[in-house]
Amino acid sequence: MTTQLLVPRTDFPPDVREFFTPAFFNDALYPWLTKFTFYVWISVALLIIFFLVAYRNPKMVPTRMQWMAESIYNFNRENVAKGMIGHEGVKFAPYLTTLFCFILLTNLYGIVPGIQISPNAHIAFPAFLAVISYVLFNYVGIRKHGFVKYFRIALIPPAPWYILPILIPIEFASTFIFRPFTLALRLFANMFAGHMILLVFTLGGFALLGANSWFIKPVSLVSWAMALALTGLEALIIVLQAYVFVILTSSYVGGALAEEH
Amino acid sequence: MTGDRTPQHPRGGDEAAGANQGWVALSYLIGGIAVWGFVGWLIDRWLHTGGIATAIGAVLGAAGGVYLIVRRLAPHAEGKR
Repeated sequence: MTTQLLVPRTDFPPDVREFFTPAFFNDALYPWLTKFTFYVWISVALLIIFFLVAYRNPKMVPTRMQWMAESIYNFNRENVAKGMIGHEGVKFAPYLTTLFCFILLTNLYGIVPGIQISPNAHIAFPAFLAVISYVLFNYVGIRKHGFVKYFRIALIPPAPWYILPILIPIEFASTFIFRPFTLALRLFANMFAGHMILLVFTLGGFALLGANSWFIKPVSLVSWAMALALTGLEALIIVLQAYVFVILTSSYVGGALAEEH
Repeated sequence: MTGDRTPQHPRGGDEAAGANQGWVALSYLIGGIAVWGFVGWLIDRWLHTGGIATAIGAVLGAAGGVYLIVRRLAPHAEGKR
């Protein structure tokens, strides 16, 4: 059949192997330099160049690029840093902006035609971002309150003493164990599922086209239309997940800095 | 009760803080069930009680989680962060 030529190399039910991208340039470099590594480098380079160029020659009436950069920074400074942490939050604004832009750009690979897989669909990248946030909020908390007081505020809720033995393990688990895990898993799972869904509908279209019955072949168009529509949904999720990640990071920092009441 | 609620914290207030509180509440609830359910499961394995301790632990943990949500997240809770 002629349609045989159109069928992509991957088998129809896509599985988890899709997420282990091949080595870049040379097999000997695997796993140290994969497509993911390369994409991350590109996004870092793009970010650096973008902000350098945008702020190279700042004007009172900003140029288009300067306006974009200032909008992104202002959003993170006012809505995220100040909104979640308070006036102390301003000094975290540069980190939060960097985090937001980095996650947004790396997520964006999920819908860039020809690439269509985000490095964040691989657990290593979200996990490391979560580790940074985890170290950050514990560090600022300990630096502000001191080791003992920080853990006293974090672990001991205002409650009668006889309930405390039940509550303290819950506080410990939700603050020090679940926070980094949920932070990493939320981003990873969204990007993983997004890539999987796009694969299923795109490859599913080819599988339907390759079917023997002429009644089934046209259904492949429906499958590809779904893939397009879901790419639109992915665009939304990409922005939302970057936002959620910085919101939660700043909320954890805010919680660590909060005074006891 | 909702009408005269004065914002104790100038921060947040809008959807961002709302979403954040939702995550906190969820993590307390799941955390409570997971932690005490796990303790119950360990007791079950130790004493061969066949699941009853896991059930008690999960319920106890859920209760503790709800208590923490009320204490930490209620509008005028003293321990609000």
